[in-house]
Amino acid sequence: MERTVTVEPEAGLHARPASKLVQTANRFDADVSIGRAADGDDGLVRADSMLSVSGLNVGHGESVRVVAEGPDAEAALDAVCELLTSPVEEEEGSGSGPEDAP
Amino acid sequence: MRTLAGVGSTPRSGVGTARWYRPDADLTLPDRPEPDAVDAEAELERYEAARDAAREALQDARDRTAERVGEAEAAVFEAHQGFLDDPTIVEDVEAAIGDGAPAEHAVADRFDEAVAQFEGMEGRMAERADDLRDVRDRLLRELVDDGGGASAATDLAALPHGTILLAERLTPSDTAALDPAAVAGIATVEGGRTAHAAIIARSLAIPAVVGVGEALESVADGETVLVDGEAGEVVVDPNESRRAGAGEAGPNAIRERVETADGRPVEVAANVGGEAELRPAAERGADGVGLFRTEFLFVDRESPPTEEEQYEAITAALAAFPDDRVVVRTLDIGGDKPVSYLDLSDEENPFLGRRGIRLSLDEHADLFETQLRALLRAAATENGDGLAVMFPLVSRVEEVERAVAAVESIAADFADEGVDYAVPELGAMVETPAAAFLADALAERLDFLSVGTNDLAQYVMAADRGNDAVAEYHDPLHPAVLRALNRTTTTVEGTDAWVGMCGEMAGDPALTELLVGLGFDELSMSAVTVPAVKSRVREVDAEDARSLASDAVACETRSEVLDVLGLDENEP
Repeated sequence: MERTVTVEPEAGLHARPASKLVQTANRFDADVSIGRAADGDDGLVRADSMLSVSGLNVGHGESVRVVAEGPDAEAALDAVCELLTSPVEEEEGSGSGPEDAP
Repeated sequence: MRTLAGVGSTPRSGVGTARWYRPDADLTLPDRPEPDAVDAEAELERYEAARDAAREALQDARDRTAERVGEAEAAVFEAHQGFLDDPTIVEDVEAAIGDGAPAEHAVADRFDEAVAQFEGMEGRMAERADDLRDVRDRLLRELVDDGGGASAATDLAALPHGTILLAERLTPSDTAALDPAAVAGIATVEGGRTAHAAIIARSLAIPAVVGVGEALESVADGETVLVDGEAGEVVVDPNESRRAGAGEAGPNAIRERVETADGRPVEVAANVGGEAELRPAAERGADGVGLFRTEFLFVDRESPPTEEEQYEAITAALAAFPDDRVVVRTLDIGGDKPVSYLDLSDEENPFLGRRGIRLSLDEHADLFETQLRALLRAAATENGDGLAVMFPLVSRVEEVERAVAAVESIAADFADEGVDYAVPELGAMVETPAAAFLADALAERLDFLSVGTNDLAQYVMAADRGNDAVAEYHDPLHPAVLRALNRTTTTVEGTDAWVGMCGEMAGDPALTELLVGLGFDELSMSAVTVPAVKSRVREVDAEDARSLASDAVACETRSEVLDVLGLDENEP
């Protein structure tokens, strides 16, 4: 089964959202793959691989296709798509990025 | 005097002695043996062991960075863990070992291939190459230098005082290992100011200039170097006038205490989790320490620290802030902070179990006594007047009474023994709804209360602060949490006690007006945000703040609160 969603996190599939996606994909038995919606089957890579997910270089607002196969495929899809469609919570008090650090 | 231009990263200056850090030099791989000479089984085990060690080190780096710098900066180490255990990498490395490659060559080859994939690309993709190099080097250090795997990192943590660290590039792990009290500055050949390592250096307030280019190679070990992070210059053999300007506090530090526009004083203090953080906190103009975590004295060791060790650490903190208050929190273990040599029982719900003062009063009364002895002795020293002690995770009045009785009994022992001691200010943390409801009763028995918003939000909202699935519930701006804060401050108002906040919420300048309006006398935060909060306090009018706070407390939903505060949805 599969679903196509728009990537909400501001950072796209980098840094924290990418780590979270990989950690989530690893939690399930199902094989989860992900790719740009426009790239078709050839664009799909393993969602449990940080290397593959970072290599996609998907940015905020892009449309991605998520495919899951296996016993808990539906739960895996739910979890992964939930992540992809939630704007990332910046943790409280850690707004010490380059711009606002004194 | 010779000046090299780079990109200023941390806008401060420091002068010291140049010392090159060349981690790659230690990572020469042994010659590649004939495939038949390789014991694949043993190599697979070495790879596995190296990964285990690296995973543990990354977890430590993550936790340390989260505590010292912030969750957002710590996230890079989660990405590293992702690369470390990436199934496509692990499968390829294992296959190469099966084909007769020794573990270190299999790792180096596979990671170099991955680095090449990202190298030369722009922005975020280039950062991935840095991440991969960092993970590769970690693994290789484990493999090439078995047993002494952490040597490079350990050296960085133990640099002599006044070191100007020069490097091709620094990884985030390298930077997080630095002791800001020892390192007077950083200059690198490569790197931009938004790289993770630069951000961490900035949060540690270490002067830094990055991207100096090959010209940096002309600087030799032992030369006197000034790093000017504001001008973006590295000055070799600086003259007197250049040196005179170095080593002063950053441009935004406000040294004096601050009050609101209409004259209400608000103490802005720093949260400190180790001795290395004292100097940066003082330099950023913190009015003392509002939360001195003592856990760092207890972790990463085989047995608990002695009374003497704790006494030394506490007096060091007092010496860093001779005219200010230093609030030391007694040991806060349990929950998510296990300590290996303490036999803590496994609990189904550790956050609702034996943690904080609960352990100190019973299972670990011995540790508590040792800690209190060190504290009472430290209170009698030269700078001891400013010492305050607070107890974590209080939920019952009886706990406060027992803790105070423990202090009194130690005082009586000292009096008998003829040991110098003084009883410091005593306080409780308000982290549970129970403590918020009982704030007046607690305040009557103590000198102060300090609210820990991370735990308070977790317990008020029944939402695990570490569980992303309930992140939207773990919300310090939820009206239920604001009402708990309001109840605490308003009921304490009628007593002699003061009330502070030492959760992360205190460090957000966008919330300063709200917190002043709620009636907090003290706000304590990561040192990095002290200057911004101090300057915000000066703009706030305490009367306006009070009406803003009462409007916020009257709200029924988060979005109403955000409206009242004039904040966007994704703000705090």
